[in-house]
Amino acid sequence: MTAPGAKRPDFRRREVLKALTLSLAASLPRSARAASLSAKGLKVLGSALSCLQPEPSGQLAIAVAYVAGDEASRKDAEALAALMGEGVHAGRAVFQPRLVDTASLGGGGYAAILAASGADGERLMAASRAARVLCVTADFAAVQAGRCVMAIRAEPRVEVLVNHAAAAAAGVELAPAFLMMIREI
Amino acid sequence: MNTAPRAGTFHLWRNVAVPLMLLSAPTGSSGALAQSVNYGAMEQMFGEPVTTSVTGKPQRATDAPANIEIITQDDIRRSGATTIPEVLQFVTGVDVRFNGIGGADVGIRGYNQTANPHLMVLVDGRQVYMVDYGRVVWEAIPVQLAEIRQIEVIYGPNSALYGFNAAGGVINIITYDPRKDPINTATVAAGTQQYRAGSAVATGRIGEDSGLRLSLGGFEAHDFPPGGLNLNDQLSRQSPFTGTFNADGRTKITDAVEAFADVSFGDTRLSGPSPAGAYLTEEQHSNSFRLGVNANTPIGLLSLSGYRNEANVNISNVITDDFGDQFSAREYETQTVSVVQASDLVKLGPDHTVRAGLEYRVNSDGSALLAGSMSNTIYSASLMWDWQMTPVVSLTNALRLDHVQMQYSGFLVPGSGITAADYSNTTFNQPSFNSGLVWKATDLDTLRLTAARGVQLPTLMDQALQIAPGELAPVGLLGRPNVLPSVIYNLELDYDRTLTAIASTLRTAVFGQRTDNVISWPFGGQFGITPAGIPAFFSANVGYTTAAGVEIGLKGHSESGWRWNASYAFTATSDNTSLNQGGVLTSTVNYACSAPRSVVDAGVGYSREKWELDLIGRWQSNFCDFRATGANLGLERVSIDNYATLNVRIGYAILEHVTLALAAQQLNQATLIRTAGPLYERRLIASVTVHF
Repeated sequence: MTAPGAKRPDFRRREVLKALTLSLAASLPRSARAASLSAKGLKVLGSALSCLQPEPSGQLAIAVAYVAGDEASRKDAEALAALMGEGVHAGRAVFQPRLVDTASLGGGGYAAILAASGADGERLMAASRAARVLCVTADFAAVQAGRCVMAIRAEPRVEVLVNHAAAAAAGVELAPAFLMMIREI
Repeated sequence: MNTAPRAGTFHLWRNVAVPLMLLSAPTGSSGALAQSVNYGAMEQMFGEPVTTSVTGKPQRATDAPANIEIITQDDIRRSGATTIPEVLQFVTGVDVRFNGIGGADVGIRGYNQTANPHLMVLVDGRQVYMVDYGRVVWEAIPVQLAEIRQIEVIYGPNSALYGFNAAGGVINIITYDPRKDPINTATVAAGTQQYRAGSAVATGRIGEDSGLRLSLGGFEAHDFPPGGLNLNDQLSRQSPFTGTFNADGRTKITDAVEAFADVSFGDTRLSGPSPAGAYLTEEQHSNSFRLGVNANTPIGLLSLSGYRNEANVNISNVITDDFGDQFSAREYETQTVSVVQASDLVKLGPDHTVRAGLEYRVNSDGSALLAGSMSNTIYSASLMWDWQMTPVVSLTNALRLDHVQMQYSGFLVPGSGITAADYSNTTFNQPSFNSGLVWKATDLDTLRLTAARGVQLPTLMDQALQIAPGELAPVGLLGRPNVLPSVIYNLELDYDRTLTAIASTLRTAVFGQRTDNVISWPFGGQFGITPAGIPAFFSANVGYTTAAGVEIGLKGHSESGWRWNASYAFTATSDNTSLNQGGVLTSTVNYACSAPRSVVDAGVGYSREKWELDLIGRWQSNFCDFRATGANLGLERVSIDNYATLNVRIGYAILEHVTLALAAQQLNQATLIRTAGPLYERRLIASVTVHF
């Protein structure tokens, strides 16, 4: 049972969806299943995206950036996109994944960037600044080094780190209440 | 005077609202899923409840620099409770005395008493306790259980944020946001003790950025048997009922500015003990309204709000006069609370958050017991500074200064030695502070060291009760303006650990507390003779009390649908007061024995598809309570033996949007002596809930 007011999906439909999800997970290659962000991490991502100011809405694209020629990076990007499915829900917005290699990020057309493993270099931050969009990674060291705006970790405890200077450089504003609940450097 | 229900009196809630809701069926569907940044989203993000109740700053519960327990809507539903005190009775460190169906006194960590004034209770930050004795009429709180997002219990003083009376703890009831949380639900329930209840909550979106939530609910029942109450108290009791309505609206004016307003009114009748120990029946008509605005500005999150509470109280009880005749006494009170609050919350760089606040408040009571009206005007300024010292260590300090000015108008008891000028010439200036050091030693371990100075203001009755000799007793009962506020010092060390292997969280706390200038009501307070020769009991500062305790609790859940909790709380309280000396029992204030020293709570639950099953039990050691003998304010002490109680709830989703539930309270005992008042009976309650 669910809390009052929450969506109450039909039980049969829920079971079918659960089975499909398990089947999909089983069909993924081993490396793809080990995405740099888990499903829980992507939920955290969605909540964080909903804290952007002004608040995003509608169908938007999130670039899942990988390093061309880096097989591990590309597979991580594919795994992340697969986990996202039809998109990451972020308040009134849905961010749909689009695989983009870091060299092509200059083309724009996305409202946020999620860095796959190895893709959080200078090129990524340059694209974030140019497009004035949020860059997110699972690599905390990259955020500490100013190569990305936000780092997310879901286990064992949810942690979010924001690089204040990198956010300012990218023109990214986040809700003050959100910033009071996470760690900034 | 007459204690019986007024013949022909039309009780809107009893006669119309409850039957209407019992008959009504939910209609339609409303409320598009509001999807904007909100506490619900934050809770989902962090995987734990969030709160603003500890410092005024939004925080994860595990980051808060105070010991806080958050009871979620899921917890409330699964408890099978019909009232907020029934929810609170299984919370570690919380003591609940039920005075019947619907009435209760709630205390935290050893400090519970009749009409307990040590607790600050709020709904979304709006104070809902009564200013006459500082007590809480829980059933008059205009909130349906289904519209509560969470109940936050903060242990220990928190006066630096909330001011006076956040002395023993704070309970902040947080409701859903009508702009973001589309709660639409209706429940009808019936049970033993002729219990009938109904509630409905509906939320509507108005345009893209506005929301309005309406709630309506109430119950009526035949109360528990009187137990050992004296004949007067038995005759004083009447069957309880309550009905409340609340409207809560929010609108986003611009991307940076949000306005909110709420209005409520209610009609309640409950019986319970007075500070003198005698049972009274109280009929209360209450209303409130609040307006406010929040703005995200370059200088921080600004908040400005004002509210006014009003309660018209009609108290009746049966008294035996000097000739042995019983007669009914009836008193009327009008209590008002008017508050204006302003604050600015700003993050200064990555590591510092500051909140500055100002508050203006007038608490007022006009009553025959006061022979006039008494008010306190309070000016307050507060400052909170939260410093993230290192990635894993934070230090929070909060300071508040309160200035109190008294005012009395009325007819003081002749010869009392007190004049109206004594009130207008009396002011208090009291500082309070809260400090908390939080060390996240590892991803799984958190240590918390807190220190506080809280302040409890004498209640308006403590300051100005005016009962002449011969009215209620051979001696007078007099409040005094020079009674000092109580000062509470609290030191606490907490250790929390996440036990990943068993999907649980272990929480432990060790605390010590000392309260100076303990305040006694005039009822059985300090005996003396006025300069004019009038014998009387006065309100007074009667000494000090200390408490020390340990709490340990484990709570967890599994992906397979199991959930469990277990806790043990030990609190030892010691009094050094001048009350009840020389073998003469005059006061109901006796902290050393008035709450159980040891309490064990344990629960287990399981959800599978359409089913929910929850069992929760409590064992508590013995404690003492008091009841009136029925003559001349006489009291007798009653020992309440240790007891165990077990509650069970079974829920079944018969349809996608319809849930049937059967709850049993005190399933293990048909009747039980849980206070000096009425016997607590086993209760069985069946309910149907529809989400629409």
